[in-house]
Amino acid sequence: LTFIIDCQGKSTREINRELRAAITAGQRDMRVLAPDARHNLGVALLEPVRVVFEGSVGYYCAGMMDGAHVEVRGSAGWGTAESMMGGTVVIDGNAGSGVAASIRGGTVVVRGDAAARAGVSMKGGTLLIGGGCGYMAGFMMQKGRIVVCGDAGDALADSMYEGVVFVGGKIASLGNDAVVEEPTAEDRAWLHDLLTTYNVPAPAALKKIVSGRKLWNFDKKELEVWKAAL
Amino acid sequence: MCGIVGFLDKCRGTDRPVGQTILALLQALSCRGPDSAGVALFDTRDEWRVRVSVPGGHDLDAAAATLCELGVVVQRHYRNGVYDALLGSGADASTLEERIRHRLPGTEVICLGRRLNLFKQVGSPDQLEATYRISALCGSHGIGHTRLSTESRVDLSHSQPFWAHGVPDLATVHNGHITNYHKLRRRYEQKGYRFFTENDSEVIGVYLRDRLAAGLSLEDALSSSLDDFDGSFSYLAASGDRLAYVKDRFGFKPLMVAETDAFVAIATEEIALWKALGGDFVAREPAPGSLQVWPVPTTPVATAR
Repeated sequence: LTFIIDCQGKSTREINRELRAAITAGQRDMRVLAPDARHNLGVALLEPVRVVFEGSVGYYCAGMMDGAHVEVRGSAGWGTAESMMGGTVVIDGNAGSGVAASIRGGTVVVRGDAAARAGVSMKGGTLLIGGGCGYMAGFMMQKGRIVVCGDAGDALADSMYEGVVFVGGKIASLGNDAVVEEPTAEDRAWLHDLLTTYNVPAPAALKKIVSGRKLWNFDKKELEVWKAAL
Repeated sequence: MCGIVGFLDKCRGTDRPVGQTILALLQALSCRGPDSAGVALFDTRDEWRVRVSVPGGHDLDAAAATLCELGVVVQRHYRNGVYDALLGSGADASTLEERIRHRLPGTEVICLGRRLNLFKQVGSPDQLEATYRISALCGSHGIGHTRLSTESRVDLSHSQPFWAHGVPDLATVHNGHITNYHKLRRRYEQKGYRFFTENDSEVIGVYLRDRLAAGLSLEDALSSSLDDFDGSFSYLAASGDRLAYVKDRFGFKPLMVAETDAFVAIATEEIALWKALGGDFVAREPAPGSLQVWPVPTTPVATAR
């Protein structure tokens, strides 16, 4: 049985309290009507519940959450699913800047396009983007996987430590120390599973981008340059 | 922070005044800027008009008489020292601002033009409505601003929208920070342009004025601003026949745009679009470094007023 929360006339705090009260009362399946791009909806959900937002959401939706399944039947604002630990977030439309920033686990799916700084500083988990993404996706990521089916913006995967980025379309430019590699058979199998699971059309081919690891260590040969610069 | 909004009624077939929509968009962004609020609306009256704010200390009746001597016919004045006036036969739009400021020192020319109606004051959009009844104003399009000041004073002069002094009917609203403001200001002051405030956003209007004077179209002037402004900016510009947005190359400041056959609506946050318009539209976030200019349809007004 689905529990319904209608946002009309309610403040964000009232909506989140209703969500929380329903979860405490044992509800596991919830629909939130007319979210109308309010910010901070469904933040810090820590139970294995399913929450469907029937419309666009604002900033930081489903941030800092662990283990829930969140669907957005619209677009999402900046910082969606930021710092989440586990669970899934599926956005039918587009996502604003910084989607899935700093996530440690779980899966974030954007069926449309993602804006700039998607998946920056990821520490685990998966970000799947059905369309394209803006500049600096995967900046300084430390672990995890980003899949961009469409085109990627400038400075892709800049200064990444670890982790991997797959891109189906054109790459405007690679970031510092980002290196293109041939995907392995294992990668292809994993990609196939992921795209099938979330029903995202597979691009003809996917390029694989990893860290060149040149930035891992300070290069002594550059010491004089640094001294002069500092 | 700061919130900016824009609205263009494409078919002008609705009974809802544009002022009401702009106000609703602005009210939804009140929390982004509690310091001051303002709107610039474009109506179809097509008569030369000027709005001035006369500071305390001037005798208000004497000020009205002085304006009259300058060929300005005062239509009404508000208790806060703001005068609405029409330009009579003896007035010259190009030199009027200097002449007013010479005769009534400290007076702020808020706007001048044939279609531009600019209202702003310290306080919230609700307070702006209480003073000026924005919701009753009809027209084709407009822009609005709620301000959270970071650098400069909180008063009427420093609030937005800014009329681009010297260019009738051109107004701007800005969310962000033009970080090469001081450099640009020095350059333009050397060229003889006058700045009326310490607000970095004012430089946008001065820049556009300079580029238009150099023969550029508004579109080209907006486009070159992407190269010439540093820092963070989402800004809107509106003239009698244009509505435009410009977004910096890094997309530092948010901006959402919704366009249908009936309207173009722009707001810092999508939540404002839903609160003000509801209904069936798709909001999108324009790409960093992009701009778009919408012409204002010149078709006759569908509903009689």
